[in-house]
Amino acid sequence: MQNKLSFHQTSASLEIIGLPDYSNNENKDQISIISQWKLTIVDKPLIEGKIEHLGPIMDAFYIYSNLLIKNETPIYESKLIDIKADNLHIHNIVLKSSKPNVNPLNIKIGNTSLSDTINCFDQLNESSKVRIKKTVVSNYIPKKGRFGLNSKVKFLNFIMPPFIAIFSLILCSSTFIYFYNPIEDKEKNELINPE
Amino acid sequence: MPNKVTIWKLRNNNPLRKSYVSTNIKLNEFDALIRITVEMSKYLYPYIREILKSKENIEENSVIWNDFNKRFIELIKERFNIDSMRVKKLLNQDENDEIIIKSLLVLSFCISNQGYQKLKNFL
Repeated sequence: MQNKLSFHQTSASLEIIGLPDYSNNENKDQISIISQWKLTIVDKPLIEGKIEHLGPIMDAFYIYSNLLIKNETPIYESKLIDIKADNLHIHNIVLKSSKPNVNPLNIKIGNTSLSDTINCFDQLNESSKVRIKKTVVSNYIPKKGRFGLNSKVKFLNFIMPPFIAIFSLILCSSTFIYFYNPIEDKEKNELINPE
Repeated sequence: MPNKVTIWKLRNNNPLRKSYVSTNIKLNEFDALIRITVEMSKYLYPYIREILKSKENIEENSVIWNDFNKRFIELIKERFNIDSMRVKKLLNQDENDEIIIKSLLVLSFCISNQGYQKLKNFL
């Protein structure tokens, strides 16, 4: 018998179906092995999938909401889901099925449905009864905290100038290094003391 | 926050206010203000939602949005320094829609138990 847990927020509800991981001595009402999930938004088609789809979809909503708030271009595109803003109030979601010959599902939601959906995902993240794999949550790191290409470039900008300066110093000074030449020295001595 | 007066004093750290006082706000006071904001947005979520919904369907139900917008502008005029360019932007009907909607969205995204951390990141 599978466990069912629901998270509701006004116009959105998220249902998680799965089993506890008995090998970890979990309680009967716990869900660690998610077999199916369903996201219902009022007046919109049902969105459902398996555990491998839940993480990317949650990430998409979180990243998109971040972009929306931070005045960046609110467009999120991935293999599974695209979200972009039609205008200030309408968000266009395209869900691409992993099954062949299934057309993508287009859904338009407003700001209220978007915030309700995100609040459902928040409830899921905070629930002690559902344990989802770390990847799902850890991918939701605000841009500020990410160590990405930007940080690498900053690190290179920090390390490169002194490195170039030291290297050029060595290169220039090496041309003026005096190497002792015993033959030349002997010739000089002969010129000074002709005897 | 020992009392409401402390909160009232802290609000005056906002440079857009008429009663702006330039005292350095402490980190724990800043955290406390964020926590108060999150708790208030949890409590007011149904209203925030209704305002956003009214703006979505402005042709069908514009009353709530218009009331909110009117009250928002009244408050700004009453308490903010209207000579400031940033305040003028808030008062400009053509430009303030986006600012108001985004502010309401930020509040509506932060009503979970981890809303404090989320709001801090958004700021």
